[in-house]
This record gives sequence, structure tokens and C-alpha cells, in this order.
Amino acid sequence: MRYLISAPVLLAALTGFTQTSAGSNDARVVAEFEQRAKQYLDWRENTLGKAPSPANSPEKIVAARRELARKVRVARAGANQGEVFTPDIAGYFHHEIVATFNGRYGKQIRSSLRHSEPTEMQLQINQSYPEKVALQSTPPTLLLNLPELPKGLEYRILGRELVLRDTDANIVVDYIPNALPDMK
Amino acid sequence: MTVRCTSFWFIICAFAICPAGVNAQAKLDVRLPVKDKSVRFAVIGDSGTGEKDQYQIAKEMEAYRGAVNFDFVITLGDNIYGGHEPRDFAQKFEIPYKPLLAAGVKFYASLGNHDDPKLEPLYKPFNMNGERYYTFKKDFAQFFALDSNYMDAPQLSWLEQTLRSSKAPWKICFFHHPLYNEGKMHGPDLDLRNQLLPLLKAYGVNVVFSGHEHAYERLKPVNNIYYFVQGDSGKLARHDFHQSHELAASYDRARTFMVVEIAGDTLYFQTISENGETVDSGALPRAAAAVKAASSAQ
Repeated sequence: MRYLISAPVLLAALTGFTQTSAGSNDARVVAEFEQRAKQYLDWRENTLGKAPSPANSPEKIVAARRELARKVRVARAGANQGEVFTPDIAGYFHHEIVATFNGRYGKQIRSSLRHSEPTEMQLQINQSYPEKVALQSTPPTLLLNLPELPKGLEYRILGRELVLRDTDANIVVDYIPNALPDMK
Repeated sequence: MTVRCTSFWFIICAFAICPAGVNAQAKLDVRLPVKDKSVRFAVIGDSGTGEKDQYQIAKEMEAYRGAVNFDFVITLGDNIYGGHEPRDFAQKFEIPYKPLLAAGVKFYASLGNHDDPKLEPLYKPFNMNGERYYTFKKDFAQFFALDSNYMDAPQLSWLEQTLRSSKAPWKICFFHHPLYNEGKMHGPDLDLRNQLLPLLKAYGVNVVFSGHEHAYERLKPVNNIYYFVQGDSGKLARHDFHQSHELAASYDRARTFMVVEIAGDTLYFQTISENGETVDSGALPRAAAAVKAASSAQ
């Protein structure tokens, strides 16, 4: 009887310990991701340049961004998929995305995604996001459940991929393949 | 033969008596009151195709500017479709609206899914000051241009703070993706509605203009907020609307733009097609709930 009473208490204690452990692990992974994102942005801004300034001339703005993109491509020529979204970080994102899609607003998120003119294309690190292709909108509830990014970086959805995009240079910094559930 | 001659001389006489400008003004069916000290503006959405229909709408806008004298235009996104080369900015914006720009009319842009969220905010004629979302005031109206493609925490937080501190009697939000929409092509953005609507309600927003759906819709007010969908100033989808009691007016047979006038507690609007036909017009009172919210902010 003594053991029967103790078992639930023990189970609760273990569950609590596991949750705390998972929570602290998540916090560590998020901190690592935020640090990697910040490192990329600091490096790009300090080494290669910041966003172009507002101008009346589209020639000036377009040329400035293309030059920034060219510099990023040269400087990161050897970059690979998974350098920012390491396996640990990608695992965390997968978990958060699934939880968001299965959560309170999952149905509305799916509806929004279906209506957002989804596009599909083959992704490559350091590629410029094609200027002629519409940028699929990212559901707000999903954005609110992902780690916040510094200004200059953003998340984008492309098919099922979650893209980390350098907005100033219009460059794909990294992506998680099949990050989103299959909508078909 | 006699009839032909008569017609010929009639046309010659008509041209001789009425200069082209007067003719153009005379055919306009202006339904705004054009009161002293009112705020007057035009609205376009999904305009930037660079095709002849966009140019036709721009011509009609120019004609109405002469009559209504609006001094700014708000855009509901998809300002530049396709490529974003310098020539695209020229063909899809600078050339069609050249007479308006030359007359000093300011354009305040919001971003659609076909826009470039970095290049366009940097383009000074869009008056975005390098930002994806921003606010500006015109007398007793405050406008909030939002980026509905990417409604992240910083933008929501900015909107809440800016709305909370606004003392403007009229608060007008404009952004690309509609919260309410009875068009069959896209429909409403439900997740955006989840996040945005509580703020619009809490802080007394009066009117919301959106695009994206390539048609014109005026919806019945929801929570005392008036919703317009105007996504057909360049693109047009001749498609059916859902049979809905929520629609107060709809039109999808030609491209349109709007002229709007705010005078005191009334917003007057007129929706005009590329053929110069008025397809919708009316006067909307500032809703009681919004009046209360504006008073409590002061």
C-alpha cells in the first residue's frame, strides 16, 4: 500500500522534473538560435554593410541591394544548410510548428496558408529570393510562437520550408526542409 | 448623306464649343460633398501591373482629382507586380501616375504579397520612410499602414502602442490581406483576423481598407468597423462572390478606385470604375463605439 501511494507521487515528481528539464533545454536551444542569428547579422553589417538608405531613385536602391547580396555570396561561399538551423534548433522549430498547427488557431492558420498564394521552388543557401515570385505571407500566430528575430532577418514560408531570409540583401541565409506539415 | 453631314458638323461644333478639359469635367459624376476643411484622398489596390487598364484607372483618378481635389492616395498593396527592376518602378508607378505626382499628390503605400518588402519601403515616392509599417496624420484622421504579409510581435506591439496613444477622431487602417472578404478567390485571412481584430476593436478603429481580392467589396460593419476590399485597380478577377448577407455592395465587372472624404463625423465614399461609372457611393457615420474610444483616448 505504501508503494501504491508513493507511485503517483513519484510519477508526478519525475514528470515535473522532465518538464523542467525540457523547458530549460528549450531555453538553451532558443538562446543558441538567437545568438547565431545575431552573429550572422552583426557579421554582415560590420563586415559587408547595412541596409541601403531611402532614395528617390529605384536604380540606387536596387543597385545597393544587389551589391550587398554579391558581397554576402562571396563571403559565405562555403555556407551550408543547417549552419544556423542546427539539428537541435531545427528539432525545436519542428516541435513548435507542430504544436502551433495543432493548437487553438490551427484551423485558421491552415486556411490562411491555403489562401496566401503558396509558391514552391528549389532552395539554395545564399540564393537571392526571386524578385518576380510572390512572397507567401507568414501566419501571425506562427510568427508569435517562433523566436523573435533582429531587424534585418525574417522568417518566410516557401511550400513546406521555413526560410531564414536576410531582408537587406534578399538572401536565403538558411532553411529547414519540410518544417511545415503537409497541407495536401 | 444628309444625316452624315449633320453628325459631322455636330461633332465639330461640340469640340469647338467645349474644350477637352471642360468636357472631361462635365461628364464626372461627383458624389462627394467636397466640403471646406475636409480630408480627401483616393484609394487603389493591386494596381501595379503596368498594363493599359492600370493606366486607364490612373486617367480617371486624374480627372477626379481635378473635381474632388484629393491630395493623397493610399495603396493597398501589390504596388509593383513581377520584377522590381528600375524600369518596373517607372512603368508600374511613375508613368501612370505622373500627372498626379506632378500635381503634388502624395502616395502612401502598404505592402502586398507581390511587393518587395525591402525595396519599396526605401523608395521615397511611397512615403514609407524605410519601414514596413508606419502611421501618418491628416488633420483629424490618423492612418495606419500595416504589413499584413508579416504580422510579427514587434508590429503588433507597435500598432497597439500607436493606436493607444492616438487622439484622432478617425482611425483608419490599411493593409493588403482582408480580414473579411466574400470573394471566392482568396477569402478572409482568418489567422490575421485572430491577431489583429482585438486591437482594432479595443482602440476604436473606424475603417479598414484592404486589397488582395481582385474585386470591390463593401462589407456591413462588424463591431462598428467599416471594411472595404479594393483589390482591382490593376488586376481584375471576374468571379463570383459568395452569396452572403455580410456584403453591402460588390462589383467585379471592371477595375475600380475610390475617392473618400471625411468631414466631421461622416465619411463619404465613391467607387469609380475604369469606364467612369460610379459603382458604389454613400455616407457612413462615425460609429458610436469608435467615438467613445476616441474620447477616452483624449
